[in-house]
Amino acid sequence: MNQHIHQAGVKFLNALSRHSELIMQVYLAGTLDESKYNPKVIDNLLQLGILWRPESETQLRLKSAVRSLLEGSLHDERNRHIDANIGSALASLNTLAQHYKEALHHGRFSESESYLSDLTEHVYSLTESLANSVRVLFSRINNEFGYVASIDAKIRENELAQGQVSELLTQLEMFRFDQLSEQAGSNRELRHLLVVTLQHSFSKVIQELSIVQARLLELIGRFREFRGRTQLLKGFLLHIEQKPEFSPTNYSQLSKVPLLFNQAPALLKPAAVDVHRIEHEQDLQHLVGLIKAYDRTKSQQQVERAAKNIQVEEQSDAQFVEDKLKLAVEAYFCQVIDSGERLTALDYHQQQELDFDPEVWIYQVVGGYQGLSAEEQGYFALDTEGAKHPIYDGNYIIRDVELGLR
Amino acid sequence: MITEQGRILELLLSGAFICQISDEDAWRYLKTAASSDKIENQLNVLNRTLASAADGDVFFAAYQSLYDDERKQLGSQFQDISSNLVPLVEWLLLVQQANGTDVPVTQGSAIRLNELQTTIEDTPAFAEQLEKISRYRMFGSTSTQLDGQLKQVFKRLTELGYLLKPNSEKQIFIATGKIEYLYDVLKFIDETEALSLTEQAENAALQGSLL
Repeated sequence: MNQHIHQAGVKFLNALSRHSELIMQVYLAGTLDESKYNPKVIDNLLQLGILWRPESETQLRLKSAVRSLLEGSLHDERNRHIDANIGSALASLNTLAQHYKEALHHGRFSESESYLSDLTEHVYSLTESLANSVRVLFSRINNEFGYVASIDAKIRENELAQGQVSELLTQLEMFRFDQLSEQAGSNRELRHLLVVTLQHSFSKVIQELSIVQARLLELIGRFREFRGRTQLLKGFLLHIEQKPEFSPTNYSQLSKVPLLFNQAPALLKPAAVDVHRIEHEQDLQHLVGLIKAYDRTKSQQQVERAAKNIQVEEQSDAQFVEDKLKLAVEAYFCQVIDSGERLTALDYHQQQELDFDPEVWIYQVVGGYQGLSAEEQGYFALDTEGAKHPIYDGNYIIRDVELGLR
Repeated sequence: MITEQGRILELLLSGAFICQISDEDAWRYLKTAASSDKIENQLNVLNRTLASAADGDVFFAAYQSLYDDERKQLGSQFQDISSNLVPLVEWLLLVQQANGTDVPVTQGSAIRLNELQTTIEDTPAFAEQLEKISRYRMFGSTSTQLDGQLKQVFKRLTELGYLLKPNSEKQIFIATGKIEYLYDVLKFIDETEALSLTEQAENAALQGSLL
C-alpha cells in the first residue's frame, strides 16, 4: 500500500515538473489555451487531477490545491483566500485523539502510533494555516492593497479583509482549551500537541490579528479621507461649473472671524545697521571692504580697460615704401624698353636721384627681373658686374647689374 | 545668537506657515504646549495669536483682536484666497489624474516634475487643462510651451508656500501643510454655504456610471 502511494506521488510530482511551463502559464493566465499544447499532455494532467474543467464548454483551470500550493510558496499577493474553517479542524483533532486513546487503552501500539502521527500532522497544519492567514492579511496591508488601483477598490478590499479578520476571530473562539486539556488527560504527547502547541499558536494569532484589525481600521480611515478629499475637489469644480458666479461670502466681515481666514500679514522688516555696536565691527568692516573692492574693479574697467580704436596708418605707410620701390623698378624696366639701350641699375639710380639704399635697389631690380614670367624674362638680358671674392673661392660679389633688351 | 524661540517667532511674524515639511523643528516646538505658550505670550504683545489648521498640522500667526484696519486687511486677503481657489483645485485634480492614482495631493506628497511633464505631454486633455490653469492670474504664465507653463505654475506654487523644493538641482517638489490648509478652507466653505460638494460629486459619478 505504502509503496503504491509512494510511486503514485513520485509520478504526480514528476508530471508537475515535466509540465511546469504549462502549469505556470495556466496559473498566471487563469485558464489554459488548449490549442497551444499537446492534447495527450492535457489528458494526462486531467487524469492526475492537476487540471480540471469546471463545466463542459468552459476552459481548463488549475485545481485549487495546486493553485494554493503555488500561492503559498510564491507569496503571491493575489492570494486572498483565508481558510477559516477551524471548527471542523478541531472536531477532527478531537476524533483522532479519541482513536489514539482507545488504541492505547487496548494496547494496539502500532495503530496508536499511526493515529498520533496523523494527529501531529493535523495540529501542525492547523497552526500553519492560522499563521498563513495572518501573513496573507499582513502582506495585503503592507502594500496598502497596491494590487488594485482605485481608492474605491481599495476600500472594498479593506472591507473584505476586515470581514475575514472578524470571521477568523469568531472561529478562534471555538478553541476550548478546557475541553482540549480534558481530552489530553495525563498523556504527555497529547498534552504537548493539544495544549502547548495549539495554545502557543492561538495566542500568537490573536495578538497579530488585533494588530491587523487596528491597521485595517487606520487604512480604511485614510482611504475614506482620500476619497472625501477627491470628492470635495471634484464637487467644488462641478459647483463652479454650474454656478459660475458663485463666490463665498466674505467671512472676514463676520462679527467673529473664523481662525482660518484670520492670517496676520508679514510684520517684520529687515533691521538696520548699528555702527556703534562693537561686536559687529568686524562684520561691518568686512562689508565695507567688499564695497571698496567692488569700486576699484569698476573704475579700472572704466578707464584703463576701455576698448580703444586701433591705429592702422603706420602699417599702410610701410606698404607704401615698398610700393614706391616696386614702381621705381618698373619705371627702370620701362626706360630700358623705351630707349632700347643697356643701362646699369646704379646709373639709373644716379640719373633719377632715387633715395633708396643702392644695395636695396639692386636687390629689388634682381627681384623684379626674377619676378617676371619666363616669357617676359626672355626679352631682357641681365648682366652682373662684380668680382670674385679675393680670399674665398666660389663667392662672387655683385657690384651692379646691367639690364638690356635681347 | 538667536534662540529657537526667537527664530520661530520671526517665522510666524513674517507670515510663514509652519508645518512638518517646511520646518520640522519649529513645528515640533509649537506642538509642545509649554513652548507654544511662550510664543503665544510674545505674539500677544503685537496683537497676534498662534493659530493652527488641519488638526494641528499647520501653524500660523493670526490677529488677536480685530479693528477696522485689521478687517480691511483680512478682507483683501480673503479676496485673494477665494480667487485662488479655482486654479488651485484644478491644479490639484490635474496632478492627481496625471499620476494615475486616486490618491490626492496631501502634505508630504512628492511630485516629480519630469514624470508629470511626460504624462501631460502624452495626453492632450491634460495639456489643455494645464494651459488653462497656467493662464489664471494667480500663475500668470504667457508661455505657449508646455514646459514653460508647467515650470511657471510650480514656481508660483513654491513662492506661495504650497510646495517645497528640497534639492535645488532636482525637479522634485513636496507638498507642504499649506495644502492641508487649502482643504480646510474648502471644507469650511462647503459647510458654511451648505454646498454639499461631496454629494454633488457622488451624484455626478453615479450619473456617469449610469450613462
